[in-house]
Amino acid sequence: MSRVIPLIAIAAVGLCVALVIVVVSVMTGFLDMVQSAGKTLMGDVIITYGVSGIPHYDTLVEKLEEDPSILAATPIVDGWGLLRMPYPDSDAKQSETVQVWGIDPDSFTQVTGFNDSLHWKTSSKQQLDWLLFDAINKNASAILQTMSDEKQQLLIDTIGGARSTMNYQFTDLWSAMEAQLSDKQWELVKAYDERLQNPEKVFAQGLSLSRNGKAGIVSGLHVSDGNERQQDGSYAVIRNDHWWMPRFEGTLTMLPIASDGGLIEPESIIMPFTNEFQSGVFLIDSSRIFVPIETAQQLLHLDKAELVDNDDPTVVVGVDPARATSVLLCGADGVTADALQLIAAKVYDEFRETLRGSTTVMPPSRGDPSLSIHTWKEQQKSFTGPVEKERELMRTLFSIIYLVVAALILSIFWAIVFEKTRDIGILRSLGASRAGIVWIFLRYGGIIGVLGSLLGLLIGWLVTKNINEIHAAMGAPPIAIAIGAFVVSVASLWVVVVRGRRGEILPIVVGMLSAITFGGIGGIVLFVRSQGGIVIWDASVYYFSVIPNNIDWPSASFTLVGAVLFCLLGAVIPAAKAADTDPVKALRHE
Amino acid sequence: MSNTPLLQGIDLRKTYHLGKTEVPVLHGASLEVQRGDWITVLGSSGSGKSTLLHLLGGLDRPDKNSGEVLFHGESVWKKTNKEINEYRNSDIGFVFQFYHLLPELNVFENVLLPAMIGGRKTNNDMARERAASLLTRFGLDHRMLHRPRELSGGERQRAAIARALVNKPEVLLADEPTGNLDETTGNEILDVLQGLHQDGLTIVMVTHEQQIAERGNVVIQLRNGVV
Ligand SMILES: Nc1ncnc2c1ncn2[C@@H]1O[C@H](COP(=O)(O)OP(=O)(O)O)[C@@H](O)[C@H]1O
Ligand SMILES: [Mg+2]
Repeated sequence: MSRVIPLIAIAAVGLCVALVIVVVSVMTGFLDMVQSAGKTLMGDVIITYGVSGIPHYDTLVEKLEEDPSILAATPIVDGWGLLRMPYPDSDAKQSETVQVWGIDPDSFTQVTGFNDSLHWKTSSKQQLDWLLFDAINKNASAILQTMSDEKQQLLIDTIGGARSTMNYQFTDLWSAMEAQLSDKQWELVKAYDERLQNPEKVFAQGLSLSRNGKAGIVSGLHVSDGNERQQDGSYAVIRNDHWWMPRFEGTLTMLPIASDGGLIEPESIIMPFTNEFQSGVFLIDSSRIFVPIETAQQLLHLDKAELVDNDDPTVVVGVDPARATSVLLCGADGVTADALQLIAAKVYDEFRETLRGSTTVMPPSRGDPSLSIHTWKEQQKSFTGPVEKERELMRTLFSIIYLVVAALILSIFWAIVFEKTRDIGILRSLGASRAGIVWIFLRYGGIIGVLGSLLGLLIGWLVTKNINEIHAAMGAPPIAIAIGAFVVSVASLWVVVVRGRRGEILPIVVGMLSAITFGGIGGIVLFVRSQGGIVIWDASVYYFSVIPNNIDWPSASFTLVGAVLFCLLGAVIPAAKAADTDPVKALRHE
Repeated sequence: MSNTPLLQGIDLRKTYHLGKTEVPVLHGASLEVQRGDWITVLGSSGSGKSTLLHLLGGLDRPDKNSGEVLFHGESVWKKTNKEINEYRNSDIGFVFQFYHLLPELNVFENVLLPAMIGGRKTNNDMARERAASLLTRFGLDHRMLHRPRELSGGERQRAAIARALVNKPEVLLADEPTGNLDETTGNEILDVLQGLHQDGLTIVMVTHEQQIAERGNVVIQLRNGVV
């Protein structure tokens, strides 16, 4: 028997195992990313009453925070809106439908990973130049007034020059201005924008949702098309930071919720962008913005209002308290989301009890079908559910690979048993038992299974760990691969010519196949390069900017054990046939 | 008990079935082997010599309701499967015309094989020593680590004899051990067997050559399925 066959079997088992490990690991990683990324901006448990919001929510938050198993709670007002952005630089401004979350930034940060998700930790030199450029233009008349004609002209020339060059290269306007402006003028300029005094202020502004004293927006990094993702996963702002959102203001329009369900005039507000956030989930990063909760309440008419008599609107009959559509909770260390869910329900009931009698506007009872108290997992279900199902489907489909493994081992072993009939007969004639023969083949199958599994684990591990690099390489396959492939292809053809003259058939067939295969690989590489690379993992389709590259160890170990078992299964039938070999017939078998 | 033959074939019948046609080969062959005998069975090609030897060696079963093979007076084919394996493994030693060494094992491993199969009851070190001393005795000490295909026919057959003897069988069954060899080499093999016989080994050998048959001390003719 040739020594190549068991090696091919090991390689085949290895490739099957590697395939399963890679696919399941990526899918599991994907699922984990969806869940945990979703969680970063969601907390552990979410109490929602979307219809008209929960009145007296501040009392609810207080009560929740009294419970020792609850670390923090924060109210949310969410609704859909239209955000009109400065980008691009034409009349056709970008407008996006956005999911507006009105938040109380202090408590929201305690409950979620809001601060970690803020993208701009500081302002780059380039960005500071743009801020300086804006500040000087806004204060132009005040500055020019105090200057000599000569200096005026110099300043106008410098700013005019910067206007055209800054879009393409770093101009260092800052140094130029330090030379031209007096201390007083500098002070005036810096007073206009806090970030000019402290570049890191941009982070604090994001965290407090206010810029230079004005309520502002933190928008998802993918909301504006001015942010472009680079190949390495970082972000660059179009035109040398010209379209850096925290420079600008946007117009947010929302449709208020009418308590009677009727249509009300839309409300608009102009707000500065303070920062941008990135949760890692494309769906969220491309559609969500944060604004102060008061702003959202005003726009949605969920703020505090007077209740008037239905028949005579001039008679005030009471106060309609401000409302929050949701309250998010974060559990103390070691409290599971499920446990927290029960506690939240209990506290909610107590909250209603304490209000009874003291208000005319009662929050909904827990029997109200529109009131929900969900864990973050349940909240994510609509999102992760399909992916989870897909993974199960994949797992099921991939279990077919086990049958392939078993069939492979079966056919190889069947051939071995046939080829080895005489030797098996010899063993039997020397007194080997049937069990002994079965054991030989099972052990052999087991060894192939174990070695194949280990090989598969190694390949799977290497591929999974480097999947982003491999993907990047596919986007721009190195020309060396094409050259190498063509060299092998030509070498194969040479073998065909040389060996073909001797009249051998096998080298011709193998050589031709190899020439075609490697020629094809080289051609594909060239084609892909000519197309400027292919992108298989598109962030906008898969929600994430990087492909998950962690091995799903539970699934992987399952796969390894499965592969070994199915190798044994494939070996058992040939082994039984071998054990039944009649020694006399086998010995006469030539 | 003292005159119970070591190995005995009584009224052995064997019929092969080729589809629906029956091919009777042995029609009631009987023979007795006493300890220390060197019996040669002479018969023309196709007379059933190999068949007879396979029956004696427990490799093949005689026809139903026919005779028996007795070893120390006990019926071989009434043994359990396990006992039959042990019988094949250590009570008898078999030498084939075509050597039947395993191509993937070296000569030493081939010789050791029956001891390995016997497993539990044979002491590993002792078996190795015995295998080495047998190979030395047969002039194969320098060939121990070679593969069978690197050996000449005579060397292979000597290795096969060493393998047959490694578990110290009481009888050696040899099926035309020289049938595949030239005369000189064949005689060398017969000299080896003679030496073993002189040391007290019981041998049953089958051949189709009168000359070779005469090396034994009892010659039996196998003709028309009977002796
Ligand atoms: N499995 C078998 N099926 C049918 N006929 C067989 C089988 N084995 C042996 N024979 C026949 O039995 C006869 C005796 O064979 P064998 O014992 O090998 O003879 P010998 O060893 O004396 O040459 C031959 O005619 C042979 O063709
Ligand atoms: Mg024969």
